[in-house]
Amino acid sequence: MSFMSKPIIGEAAVAGGFRKPTGEESRGLRAELEDFNAQYSLVLDEGDLQVWPEFFTEDAFYSVTARENFDHDMPVGLVHCEGKGMLKDRAFAIQHTAMFAPRYLRHYITNTLAIGVSDDGAVVARANYMVLETLHDDPTTHIHQAGSYHDIFARGTDGALLLRRRICVYDSLIIPTALVFPV
Amino acid sequence: MAWLRVAALEEVRDKEILPLTVDGQRIALYWLDGEVFAIGDVCTHQVAILSDGFVEDGCIECPLHQGRFCVRTGKAQGAPVTEDLPAFLTKVEDGAVFVDPDRPAAAAADAGLESEAPEPNDSAPDNRCMVIVGAGQAGGRAAEAARKAGYSGKLVLIGDEPTAPYERPPLSKGILTGEASEKDLLLFSPEELNRLALDFRPGLTVRRIDRDARQLTLGDGTVLGYDGLLLATGARPRRLEIDGGDLKGVLYLRSHADAQILKQALGAAQAVAIVGGGFIGLEVASTAAATGKRVTVLERDARLVSRILPAEISEDLADRARAAGVDIRTDVDVAGFDGSNGTVSAVRLASGETVPSDLVIVGVGAIPNVELAREAGLSVDGGIVVDATGRTSDPAIFAAGDVANYPHAPNGGPMRLESWQNAQDQAAAAGRSLVGAETRYEGVPWFWSDQFGLNIQILGIPDPHGAVRRRGGAEEGPSAWFQINPDNTLRAVFAFSDAAAIREGRNLMSRGNTVPEDLFETRQSDSRPEGCIGKAVTPATTPVPYIWPEGGMNRIPDWVYTSDEIYQREVERIFHGRSWNYVALEAEIPEPGQFVRSFVGPTPVVVVRGEDGAVNVFENRCAHRAAEFCREQRGKVTEFVCPYHQWTYDLEGNLSGVPFRRGVGGKGGMAKDFDPTQHGIRKLNVTTRRGVVFASFHDDMESIEEYMGPEILTDFDATFDGRKLTILGYYRNTVPGNWKLYHENLKDPYHATLLHTFLVTFGLLVAGNKSAMIADATGRHGTMASAKSDGKTVDSAAKSEMRAYRDGMVLNEPKFMDFIPEFDSPWSVTMQTIWPNLIVQREMNTLGVRQIVPKGPNEFVMNWTMFGYEGDDEEMTRHRLRQGNLMGPAGFLGLEDNEAMKFVQDGMLRGNDGEHLVALDPETPTGTSDTLISESAIRGMYAYWRKEMGL
Ligand SMILES: Cc1cc2nc3c(=O)[nH]c(=O)nc-3n(C[C@H](O)[C@H](O)[C@H](O)COP(=O)(O)OP(=O)(O)OC[C@H]3O[C@@H](n4cnc5c(N)ncnc54)[C@H](O)[C@@H]3O)c2cc1C
Ligand code: FES
Ligand SMILES: [Fe+2]
Repeated sequence: MSFMSKPIIGEAAVAGGFRKPTGEESRGLRAELEDFNAQYSLVLDEGDLQVWPEFFTEDAFYSVTARENFDHDMPVGLVHCEGKGMLKDRAFAIQHTAMFAPRYLRHYITNTLAIGVSDDGAVVARANYMVLETLHDDPTTHIHQAGSYHDIFARGTDGALLLRRRICVYDSLIIPTALVFPV
Repeated sequence: MAWLRVAALEEVRDKEILPLTVDGQRIALYWLDGEVFAIGDVCTHQVAILSDGFVEDGCIECPLHQGRFCVRTGKAQGAPVTEDLPAFLTKVEDGAVFVDPDRPAAAAADAGLESEAPEPNDSAPDNRCMVIVGAGQAGGRAAEAARKAGYSGKLVLIGDEPTAPYERPPLSKGILTGEASEKDLLLFSPEELNRLALDFRPGLTVRRIDRDARQLTLGDGTVLGYDGLLLATGARPRRLEIDGGDLKGVLYLRSHADAQILKQALGAAQAVAIVGGGFIGLEVASTAAATGKRVTVLERDARLVSRILPAEISEDLADRARAAGVDIRTDVDVAGFDGSNGTVSAVRLASGETVPSDLVIVGVGAIPNVELAREAGLSVDGGIVVDATGRTSDPAIFAAGDVANYPHAPNGGPMRLESWQNAQDQAAAAGRSLVGAETRYEGVPWFWSDQFGLNIQILGIPDPHGAVRRRGGAEEGPSAWFQINPDNTLRAVFAFSDAAAIREGRNLMSRGNTVPEDLFETRQSDSRPEGCIGKAVTPATTPVPYIWPEGGMNRIPDWVYTSDEIYQREVERIFHGRSWNYVALEAEIPEPGQFVRSFVGPTPVVVVRGEDGAVNVFENRCAHRAAEFCREQRGKVTEFVCPYHQWTYDLEGNLSGVPFRRGVGGKGGMAKDFDPTQHGIRKLNVTTRRGVVFASFHDDMESIEEYMGPEILTDFDATFDGRKLTILGYYRNTVPGNWKLYHENLKDPYHATLLHTFLVTFGLLVAGNKSAMIADATGRHGTMASAKSDGKTVDSAAKSEMRAYRDGMVLNEPKFMDFIPEFDSPWSVTMQTIWPNLIVQREMNTLGVRQIVPKGPNEFVMNWTMFGYEGDDEEMTRHRLRQGNLMGPAGFLGLEDNEAMKFVQDGMLRGNDGEHLVALDPETPTGTSDTLISESAIRGMYAYWRKEMGL
């Protein structure tokens, strides 16, 4: 799978070896996905960066990019990680080397939807997200970014969902100052 | 914008001057003869707040150099101010004052003010012939005054310089720094000169006066008769007739031509010696020191400016000059100059010691040009002796300016004054007297000098040996000294950046009042009014005199980064001034009709490829109603249509269609003579190099290659090496800091080893690495370069200095830090800052250009365009993208820089007005340095910035 390819949506998902889930499947998957995303945001909101790579498969691709790029097939990401190793490196670098003003982040993940499933249990999914950022010395909380996850999940040995790909596409053109923690 | 309610009428009436900020502009309201007027509040000469000055005869006088503007119209009243202030419409309703900040008051209100001159009387033609010799400041002003007094006869102005009359003070100041041009010096614009209806004869010398025949012999052999004669022949520099005095590189300063030569010589000089510690010499010393030269002042007397300043003040001035890095040496006798190959190499002192110098400026006083007068038998005593009306011992002959010896009352007695004001006002009186409108000159002598961040003003005729009383702080803030006569009246005022002292002194002196004791109490800056109404209206904050602090380039004041006025001036003089601004990469718009939105400074522009393949750049602002018509980030079009009223523009920005231009049914529409070619969009000058597009608001720009200079071009071309670019995408982020901090960050190799743990840990940049900080000749551009090492070479001493160094950190995916050689360059990393808005990033294999878009003094947007090259295979593209994790607003390094800049701005915004210290590496005053532990490139950038900003 090329890291540059767009997410497989709707009909394309079916063509790509994925089929549209049935209504019942969809409801079941939503519960599972929502559970996954709630765990994911809990880890990030608590700042457990070293746990964060564990949501991904070994060959995962993770990127945070502007819609401007995504819509025009331009591959750069603010964050661009190929493989779990790079995710771990980023988690380590942010936690142990980076200098930035102390802050809290809070993820809100909604509108979770499985749009494709395959027989081996893989899932193509979408969700909207919003990340709020609060600087410790700033009385107001700001929306750092709003966007959507373009996800592909695989199953781990225990059958649990693992991200094989998460592209975080934020809608705004310009982000405020710096993106420190993962989205 | 419409009428804005800005103040209560009562308040304006009470305060008489009310400074305000209306819609971001500084405006002052004036209460004058029962009316309210609103004019701009920032002097057009330098940055000074006018409402701090004082009002006289319907004019506001600038506190800094006494430039005067008409309060009613904003019109500049003559040197040193030539550019008018904006004047705004005002109205008073229900006890409130309204201003329309967008509507200039009609300049017509001006009429009647200048009509002091009676209409020339046609019935009785004036057959006299008046001749003025010397076309300097005094000659020019005398001619003007003669006309204003109503003289309509023949008026001949003869001068031996090739130029129209000009002022000399900027020759040792703005002309040397480049902030003033020849045009700024001129006394009269060509139209004004025309209106004076002179028989102006430049480049001609007067050789002889025959008083009996009332005739002059001219340099071309002709003879010219006169009815009245005015001598304004000025003075010339005293020359040192000593050994080596004719060597190349020994210069004098009097004329514009001298200043041109000096300016050029200064550019190349390293070590400058100034012979003579007078005002002119010290001004040159100040300019040279500010640009990072080694400067030595050699003064024969025991102290500086000993003919004018009392010892205490001399010492204070010398301290300030020393703090600016100037070596002040008094009690030294210059015996001669040593040279090699005909060029000066050192100044030789009588003691035998030599002072190595590749440029010498001699400023040891001036000799009045009295020869003509003396040979004609006029009374000469030092200067040409005149009475209070300017008349010499021959009733038909007058003299003015530097050459005149005039009876200055009361302490002065007859004396020659070499000052701007004397050449202005005494000459005007003499010019009137010449044509029969006898006028006595009785002004209080006044002189100013700008140096070492100080505005020095002297009022009265000081006694250099007399006692003085000081008021005001020793180091910071304004200082003033007063000299008192035995009868307790004021004799003289010496003010260092203290305009209020001059104002108070003038009041006392012109009235002859005795000195009140509170004169010596330190003044608090005026408290400012509060409680103005209207959202966009705030009381102006305490005015800041934007004067660079003493101490040369080692300190940068906070206002450089936080002031709105400074920012406005940056937009005007830098982004919209003589600069090439990055706007796009050609690879973004390969085909005709393809466009991207971009910015020049804060100003939105469209960059589009025209039908002919050339790249056009024009403002993104409809010529009709200013709408920012292009809303898509990028796209492809055949024309641009403004969505509001569908005005249509072609790909070059020409107006090609106006709906209903002829109206409907013969009614409405544009006027018949509406000419679409006159209503296109503002087009910018465009150039490209190696696929990078630059634009300028200036039409007459040097080539981009000259603009960058060879030092910068080398590394620019190493990145843009001829391979075609492919765009990989964009990052865009705001930074809550001043835009210049970004330049500084990349001219500050010191931080890289300390802030960026990540870099250091992996041996990308360590203090011992091969590296360089390169600047161009102007100091505005820079290249921070380094060559990768493997990290094992860091010795333990260097490590312990760097808090950031963490041994034993290993990456899971180390290959993302690999450098794959692909460039013809010794460097693996080059970060280039190309003034004023471009950064070229070559961080090993991750490449990008960054565009700075300022949003006021406290914020900017950074637009990053990341690219690779055509021919990159997928693995290379992936490598570039992976390495991209270093940079950008989420990059391991990029996020730290953004955070650090925010911290700096926060520090300034939350603290009081302070200063930054940029003093590392004093061995390299400015520009290129070969150590990373240096701030010389930052100093070099500000030396250039100050020049551009006129600060
Ligand atoms: C570098 C410099 C900096 C200065 N800075 C300040 C300052 O900061 N503040 C301040 O108050 N003052 C300053 N001054 C002083 C001020 O500029 C002078 O006082 C003023 O220029 C005097 O004007 P003037 O017309 O009398 O003489 P000038 O300006 O010298 O004009 C005389 C003109 O007559 C010409 N001339 C002479 N003889 C003949 C002849 N026989 N035939 C034809 N033409 C002739 C000369 O070539 C010259 O062009 C400065 C002067 C200099 C040189
Ligand atoms: S006269 Fe206003 S700044 Fe010089
Ligand atoms: Fe940095």
